[in-house]
Amino acid sequence: MDNPLVQPDPGLFIWTILTFLILLGLLAKFAWGPLLKALDERQATIRKSLDDAEQAQQELAQLQEKSVQLIAEARAEGQSIVAKSRAAAETVREDLHQKAKAEAAAMVTAAERQIQQETARAVQQIRHEVVELSLSVASKLIKKNLTAEGNDALIQDSLRQIDASRPS
Amino acid sequence: MTTQHAEEVQAAGEHAVDAAHGAIEEGFNAGEVIIEHVSNSSLDHPIVQLPHIAGIDFSVTKHVMMMWLVSGFLFLVITMATRAYLKQDRRIPSGFMNGLEWLVQSIRDSIVLPNVGAKFVNTWTPLMLTLFVFILVCNVVGLIPMFETLGLFDRFVLGNSHESESLINSVLHGGTTATANYNVTAALATITFFSIMIAGTMAHGFIKHWKNLVPSGLAKPVYALLIPIELMGMFVKPFALTMRLAANMTGGHIAILSILSLVFLFAEIFTSAAVGIGVGFTLALPLAVGISALEIIVVMVQAYVFTLLTAVFIGMAINVHH
Repeated sequence: MDNPLVQPDPGLFIWTILTFLILLGLLAKFAWGPLLKALDERQATIRKSLDDAEQAQQELAQLQEKSVQLIAEARAEGQSIVAKSRAAAETVREDLHQKAKAEAAAMVTAAERQIQQETARAVQQIRHEVVELSLSVASKLIKKNLTAEGNDALIQDSLRQIDASRPS
Repeated sequence: MTTQHAEEVQAAGEHAVDAAHGAIEEGFNAGEVIIEHVSNSSLDHPIVQLPHIAGIDFSVTKHVMMMWLVSGFLFLVITMATRAYLKQDRRIPSGFMNGLEWLVQSIRDSIVLPNVGAKFVNTWTPLMLTLFVFILVCNVVGLIPMFETLGLFDRFVLGNSHESESLINSVLHGGTTATANYNVTAALATITFFSIMIAGTMAHGFIKHWKNLVPSGLAKPVYALLIPIELMGMFVKPFALTMRLAANMTGGHIAILSILSLVFLFAEIFTSAAVGIGVGFTLALPLAVGISALEIIVVMVQAYVFTLLTAVFIGMAINVHH
């Protein structure tokens, strides 16, 4: 065993183990431990940020969907309002039309009735005047003063004659 | 890296020149020079002499010193980068921290997690990370000829002689690759060996871990065969780790040094320095640079393999598939 390449050296062996274990302990405490922890933390952070981003995106998509829906709803509502008001306007117009028509009709009937009344009264008046005129004409003609009863009978007679001769 | 390697090759060459100077009287002995550059410094001339405890020489040799340098470097660089990073309000990794974070994440997610499982991943990742960076930097340091450069400085600038007792001269002897030493890799494999047991005990309890060594519900004669095999396997695993790492680290260095030795062998055979230099530039230097490039891959692969296999063995103790 005089070949230095394969010479057993227990001192070196023990020094190696001690050196390595001390290095391991120091590095594990001051470097590897904190580094591994930091790596894990960062992994968690990245995972969380990605999750958050995904969630935000989903929320955005939902909001977009909702806004589209809202716009559609608003549009439909607007359309229905327009249609409703159009219909209301139509009914109002129709109402007015009807009312105007009715009013006009009423006015016409009233006028007709008034005309009739006026006509009737005029006829009555004319009749009286005709009677008086005929009476005076008759008295002048006959020059004879008749009694009141005789006059009334004559008047009635004349009226009947006029009535009969009047075209109805 | 290329300049460093050119330097390495140059420095190794110069150092070999140095060694060859002393050997000129008795001829150039390539084997001795190579061994001197690959093996640990001799226990008879340690860097710091320490007393024997229980018959074990605890003196600080070159490889112990290399491990301390590597450990100190790793601790300072990694801890400082981590602290600077964690101090920020918004933790944005930058510069060196990016690389460190990549390392931590890839070792956790591609070595520890698939083998050990999600339950114990944070328990064993620190061990794997430390194993990886320690072995990697120990390997890489062996490729950087810093002490050879220091030796040149000592010899030619400070003017100390080859035999002087200067501090620089005292750290020159021996290879710089601690992981090329079987004692070092055996110690690292021992840590793997006990980690496997600790992992199994943590996951299943002490007795259950040992019962998991062999599948349950087999015929009795099968156990007579299986138990010795599995017990042997327990020791073969770390033994294989020991041999693989140390042999790989030694092999590359021996190859580079052998090729560079050609320079001096040819110079000696033809008794002409010109022939040696010619061989050096046409054959030895390109080959040595090529092998150094290969070594860069090897040092990374070996650090990775040691870490990966440790994770696999620990995973086998935790997730028992019988």
